[in-house]
Amino acid sequence: MSQSRLTALILLSPWILSFLVFWLFPLVYSLVMGFTDYRLVARDWTWVGFDNYRSLLQDGAFRSSIENTLVFVLGTVPVTTILALGMALLVNRQFPGRGLFRAGFFMPSITAIVVIALIFTNLYQRGGYIATLAEMVGVTPPQHGWLYNEGTALYAIMAMDVWMAVGYYMLIFLAGLKSIPEELYEAARIQGAGQLRQFFSITLPLLRPVALFILVINSIKSFQVFIEIFVMTKGKFDTASMVYFVYETGLTTAFQFGYASAAAYVLFVIIALFSILQFALLRRRQSLW
Amino acid sequence: MVRTIIRAAGRYLVLGVVLVIMLFPLAWMFRVAFMSPGSSIALGSLFTGDFTLGNFTDLFVSGSIGRYLFNSAFVAAVVTLGNIIFCFMVAYVLARRAGFWMKAFFATVVLVLMIPAHILIVPLYVLMLKTRMYDTYWALILPWLVYPIGIFLVKQYLEAIPPSMEEAARIDGAGEARILLTVVMPLCKPALAVLAIQAFFTNWNSFLFPFIFVSREELRTLPVGLAHYQGQQAIDWQHLMAGSAVAVLPILVLFVFLQRQIVSGITAGGIKQ
Repeated sequence: MSQSRLTALILLSPWILSFLVFWLFPLVYSLVMGFTDYRLVARDWTWVGFDNYRSLLQDGAFRSSIENTLVFVLGTVPVTTILALGMALLVNRQFPGRGLFRAGFFMPSITAIVVIALIFTNLYQRGGYIATLAEMVGVTPPQHGWLYNEGTALYAIMAMDVWMAVGYYMLIFLAGLKSIPEELYEAARIQGAGQLRQFFSITLPLLRPVALFILVINSIKSFQVFIEIFVMTKGKFDTASMVYFVYETGLTTAFQFGYASAAAYVLFVIIALFSILQFALLRRRQSLW
Repeated sequence: MVRTIIRAAGRYLVLGVVLVIMLFPLAWMFRVAFMSPGSSIALGSLFTGDFTLGNFTDLFVSGSIGRYLFNSAFVAAVVTLGNIIFCFMVAYVLARRAGFWMKAFFATVVLVLMIPAHILIVPLYVLMLKTRMYDTYWALILPWLVYPIGIFLVKQYLEAIPPSMEEAARIDGAGEARILLTVVMPLCKPALAVLAIQAFFTNWNSFLFPFIFVSREELRTLPVGLAHYQGQQAIDWQHLMAGSAVAVLPILVLFVFLQRQIVSGITAGGIKQ
């Protein structure tokens, strides 16, 4: 081996090791485990073929975790995107104090999810601020607050998630808005187009790639929702997501590694489809900006 | 004239309402953190309630938050440092060399960017058990020393810089290590700063993996410690929020100083958690 090649190999070695040990191995190992009945306590394991996948189809808890995850993704992603766009438009123009508002809107996005989940656990309680405000306008919260109540718990977590994520996507929209040439608006003004017309004919069409990109990355992240559910409801009150299901079956009580791995792979396939889409968009975006 | 004033007022009104919604929960956390345990946290007492540092002294003196804080800082610092060094090494080779193998290596980076880490909790947990890394600092640090997004960021940045400075140094007879450290690394500073911030923030706030890889109390990071504390029976909100404030404050301070790098990291296609 030439010296130059050896140097390259040495410099690359951190990634090669990290990739093999912490990414490729778990990925393959997980696939293999999915076809076994491997559990923490069992001394032995046997091949079970597609049994785990078949049981998953029958498993009500798994089905409702898929349902909850879909509700979560379909409910939060569009709302977050629209609100993020609105906020970006609000702070796009130059005005005194703009930096302050931008920073303020973004702040929830850099706060640890655990902390946010703890804060909202209190705010959602009976007697908590959100509940008190709701009572002021005549909405009576359920007996134990929205969080400890089947039927509202998931939506309460979703609302918090929108609040938490919106500032982050606002920043991405702002970068997209900056890339729209000012001349387009000037030309439109000369031709007598009003603000509304400018928004629908220039801003919105030119933001499409950015909006699409945001939709995809937010979906990928939302499919993996776990922490807020773990902290706020422990998966109770019909809030368990797919990752929560994997965690609960694989890493608590029975430690069913095989079964949980199979469930994780189902989730993996769903997210992989979105990820491929994301990468295609990311490549396009780079040439755009 | 009057119309412009009304318009501006309307704009600030909307902005103000949104700002209150976005900041109220965090402000609430900081306020409750300074109220004495057992006192009312109902509406109104936010303004009339007392103001004490007692919760913080309790947490640090008789609680374990000092230990959690140390763990969070130590792990995040090591991971950040590791990422600066390792991502730089890897990105340099990928940016400056061509050929089939380089393409293949870069493909693995891209591949990993598309893998949702949360689906790997079971195999990684088993790996940590079998390698006896479970319940050690190794489990908290080793898997995150080379973030693929970091390699991606630095590689993109390096590719935009022509290699003329390195070539000049090479002609002057400088060795490869010296070129890397004294010529290329300083050029990459802006990209490395963005990477460092992302690595630090991601790690500081991370919960799932530190939570499943560690069961000993001495190894808990702040988010893990807070979640365990909440899991106990009756929640003592004043202390819990004081602990939360300890977890949030360093990030807020960093944010104030490093806003520009954070924003450019996000718009470069970065990650948060």
